[in-house]
Amino acid sequence: MDNFLLAWIVLVPLLSSLILGTMYLYSIKVTKIPNIVFSMFALTAPFISFVLGVSFFFRLLENSDVIIYRAYKWLSVDGYDIDMGFMADQLSIFMVLFITFVGGLIHIYASGYMKDDDGYGKFFFYFNLFLASMLLLVLANSPIIMFIGWEGVGVCSYLLISYYYQDSENVKAGNKAFIANRVGDLGFIIAMITMFYYAGSNGFDYINLELGMANVPVEVLSFIGLALLIGAIGKSAQIPLFVWLPDAMAGPTPVSALIHAATMVTAGVYMVARFHFLYDMIPNVGLFIAYIGAFSALFAAIIATKQTDIKKILAYSTMSQLGYMFIAVGLGGYSAGIFHVFTHAFFKALLFMGAGAVIVALHHEQNIFKMGGMRRKTPLVYFTMLIATLAIAGIPPFAGFFSKDEILLTAFGSGEYFIWIIGVITAVLTAYYMFRLLFVVFHGSNYKENRELHSLSKNMTMPLVILAIGSILAGFIGVPLLLGGQNYIGIWLEILNSKALHVEHSIELYLMGLNILAAVIGLLIAYKKFFNYDMSKVPEYTGLIWNKFYIDEIYDRIFVDKLKKLSIFISYKLDINFIDKIVMGISNGFIRSGNVVARLQSANTRMYAFSMLMGISVISTYLIIVMR
Amino acid sequence: MDFGILSIIIFLPMFVAFTTLILPFGAKGTRNAAFLTSIVIFALVSSVYYNFELTGFLQFREHYTWISSYGINYSLGIDGFSLIILMLIATLIPSAYLWLWEGRTKGYWISMLLIQTGITGTLFSQDLILFYFFWEAMLLPVFMIIGMFGTGNRVFSTIKVTVFTIMGSLFMLISILYLGVSFFNEYGFWSFSLNDIVQINNLTRTEEIWLFFGFMIAFAIKIPLFPFHTWLLQTYSNSPTGGVFLLSSIMAKLGVYGIVRFVMPIFPELYKEFAPIFVWIGIFGLIYFGIAAMMQVNIKKMFAYSSASHLGFIVTGIFSLNVFGMTGAAFLIIAHAMATGGLFLLVGKMEYDLGIKAIPALGGIAKKAPIFTVFFGIMLLCIVGLPGTNGFVSEFLIILGAFGFSPTAGIVSAFTVLIAASFMLWMFQRAILSDSGNDVSKMTDLNKKEILGMLPLAFLIIAMGIYPDWFFYKIEPTIQHYLLDILQIRN
Repeated sequence: MDNFLLAWIVLVPLLSSLILGTMYLYSIKVTKIPNIVFSMFALTAPFISFVLGVSFFFRLLENSDVIIYRAYKWLSVDGYDIDMGFMADQLSIFMVLFITFVGGLIHIYASGYMKDDDGYGKFFFYFNLFLASMLLLVLANSPIIMFIGWEGVGVCSYLLISYYYQDSENVKAGNKAFIANRVGDLGFIIAMITMFYYAGSNGFDYINLELGMANVPVEVLSFIGLALLIGAIGKSAQIPLFVWLPDAMAGPTPVSALIHAATMVTAGVYMVARFHFLYDMIPNVGLFIAYIGAFSALFAAIIATKQTDIKKILAYSTMSQLGYMFIAVGLGGYSAGIFHVFTHAFFKALLFMGAGAVIVALHHEQNIFKMGGMRRKTPLVYFTMLIATLAIAGIPPFAGFFSKDEILLTAFGSGEYFIWIIGVITAVLTAYYMFRLLFVVFHGSNYKENRELHSLSKNMTMPLVILAIGSILAGFIGVPLLLGGQNYIGIWLEILNSKALHVEHSIELYLMGLNILAAVIGLLIAYKKFFNYDMSKVPEYTGLIWNKFYIDEIYDRIFVDKLKKLSIFISYKLDINFIDKIVMGISNGFIRSGNVVARLQSANTRMYAFSMLMGISVISTYLIIVMR
Repeated sequence: MDFGILSIIIFLPMFVAFTTLILPFGAKGTRNAAFLTSIVIFALVSSVYYNFELTGFLQFREHYTWISSYGINYSLGIDGFSLIILMLIATLIPSAYLWLWEGRTKGYWISMLLIQTGITGTLFSQDLILFYFFWEAMLLPVFMIIGMFGTGNRVFSTIKVTVFTIMGSLFMLISILYLGVSFFNEYGFWSFSLNDIVQINNLTRTEEIWLFFGFMIAFAIKIPLFPFHTWLLQTYSNSPTGGVFLLSSIMAKLGVYGIVRFVMPIFPELYKEFAPIFVWIGIFGLIYFGIAAMMQVNIKKMFAYSSASHLGFIVTGIFSLNVFGMTGAAFLIIAHAMATGGLFLLVGKMEYDLGIKAIPALGGIAKKAPIFTVFFGIMLLCIVGLPGTNGFVSEFLIILGAFGFSPTAGIVSAFTVLIAASFMLWMFQRAILSDSGNDVSKMTDLNKKEILGMLPLAFLIIAMGIYPDWFFYKIEPTIQHYLLDILQIRN
């Protein structure tokens, strides 16, 4: 049928980005192209992809069979074919829908946010290239094609983080993101190659890999699972590869919203869900994933409580929420994990965009303690941010409540009470640091009463409203049966074979109450400390938490410094003083015995070249005559 | 004696070189003639590529007796492996000429033409003496270019590279002659034709090992493999753009080619036996040179190390003894030649405009020269091995091949994804992107000719990354032939 349209979901943003890139170069080299022309190409791409995604959604609704489109033979070696193939199943299309929807809104927002930037065209070139990569990642039908998107996402985030490249700090942040992601990619590649040899004999697409893995020894499967996990950790900024995410806030705020909230970082969660057939067979590795998630969630939440930069608080909250998702997918609750990916996309994009609006209004101020009183100045931003904060804190009936509840239920139902407790503590902290942000920025007394606010365009506020509606409604696709709802998302993602939970209804109800209580406790503490915060005194933070547990410094000491020293040792000492001496010594001795040394050292290049040729000819002739 | 198409490809540049030398052509006239020649050769090579049949055997053969009393033959032919290198050379040279367009002397262009003859001759030779002849003939003009047009301590560079090369060449020559004598002793007539030499059966194991390493040292120096790399830094740093371009993107690859063309069929058993050594030397080089590159201040030296790092990886591929590693190596030869060649051209321009090679003295180039930066970025991402470029396809296949050889080798070689990324991005930040307050106002963006020269490289890097199979099918039968018929490895 029209399966080829699957490829067009990726191709549309890709083509749009190529057009934008060419136009941008033309614009700076020849004649200036107005922003509106760039916008036309930029903003239509996610829209078209979304519409295509919807059409595939309805096809899957009618007939749940996987739709596969093979565009061409990507590589064929030794009779082994790898196709440039696309796959639409319930998981990938679900991802496509919210990536393009939320992505589209962020595009609109960015068209307002970036409107005075010289690199408007370049920005959307990167943006759509990013979108195309992310969609390829999701729609690929084999790990290797997924990897193309996976790395594309990485490089685009590099480009976008170091967008203001003239400041070397921003580029360093970009480098850090790229390298940390590459450490993850190392794991991904090792996993792919092991899979290829052990499970890939019938083909390298997911369906064949699933069949192929049936007979692979469990130790090998665990190895593959762990190596893949490294990839997931790198992309999704979990312990220990999270260091890039806070620094990644160096990019423009729409970038943070798109990449570091709604899409890129969720790729790791998606990957684990995509390989559910693998992780189902190795529950121990799954448990390990859940622990990594739990500790990342708690760790990030603790750091977030003491940050003052509005974007960094949100960055750590992203890491923390991703931790929840890892708990879910690690314990086999794939649909719960993806559900949280979905709700998180709405409220986190909204939080970032709201933060961006405040930052723009205050002329690029990012310290929350220098804001204050924004409730009256920007009521719309306040109202939408309030909804998002309620959602992320897990207050019913906002979106985050349902998904987080399902994750914690999964942890409890699996008997992993330790993880469950960490999850609940993190929920308290989440509500605390999010309401701290909200109260300080919007309620606190005005830091500087009479300052002129930068105006916000419609392009920037309209997406906020839509996402606020999303943050209210998104949770209702997964209302637990207990509350008389229907877990649509669980049904839709049936193919993932998420673990069935057997928790008694009364206990489930208690747990739910406990989650709400946790959120309320966090809210109340924040209320007490920060609701009427005196903004004249900016708190001085010091100590372990403020310094993010010195992780960056430790990494620098252990890896970066050592590697630099080794590099200097090799290139300036070992090579010059040792290896070169030996090799040159041998060769000099060799040539000296050939008795042409006097000529060689005459340092006359032409003479030298001539003598070399002559020497060789003479030696050849001599040898030929002698050996006759 | 009617010459075939391969002979025309070899000798046309030499003919043009001598014609322009004798006739009163100026520098410009010689340059135009050289460029025209490279275009004609590109057309000829394209027709060879198009007409190449999908088998693993030699095609377009030409065979004439040259010096019959010593069995030295003028014997030419190409297989899939030489074909892709030929196509590479034919694509690269016109691009390079467009970049070298201004400010070169007549001698420079004549040298370039002669180098082209040497390179293609080396690539086509199926006779050991003929190969040796072209191998040396190719090097001489390179030394001339470095010696006469280089910068810095160029005389020292020239001597050093020559001392290294002469050492390798002599080992190879002695090995070739020894093989010839052995053939004579066994069959009663002289021949240096590869077809005949592979028939030798009367060598003892000790003799074979000596001869094997005689060849390997020559090629290891040219590539260069650890520990024969120390000539590289000085030479790359002081060479003029054209010289370093040829050395890095073409001649280094001919070292690898030599291993595949001669060492593998003449010593198939030793090739298999010593494969682990070379797989690990390659992987060691990959990491060793990669780490060494990180802290290099001189950008050309950094690229020299980077180049050596990838060449080590290519050697890992060709010794991996399976189809993935070997096709991957062939692919990396192409990918690396395009990207490194492109980078050296770009850096050469930067050096020409600003007179700076030190990374900390650069910076802020991106703002001054956006198109330059775009191409620089594409080449860099290819070196880094980003999916969507041919760099990734080749690295992935070599890692697969190494894993097939031994899982440990595969896993260690996967570190390639980290190595180039770490120093390349850091360099890109300091030298190109960030504004570090240095005066780079003299930097100009690419002109039309330079864009035209860079486009084919950038296009192929991406096209071969997105649709690799389209470039693969020509070489695969050859690799299968190597494995099944020459090395006798069955999967």
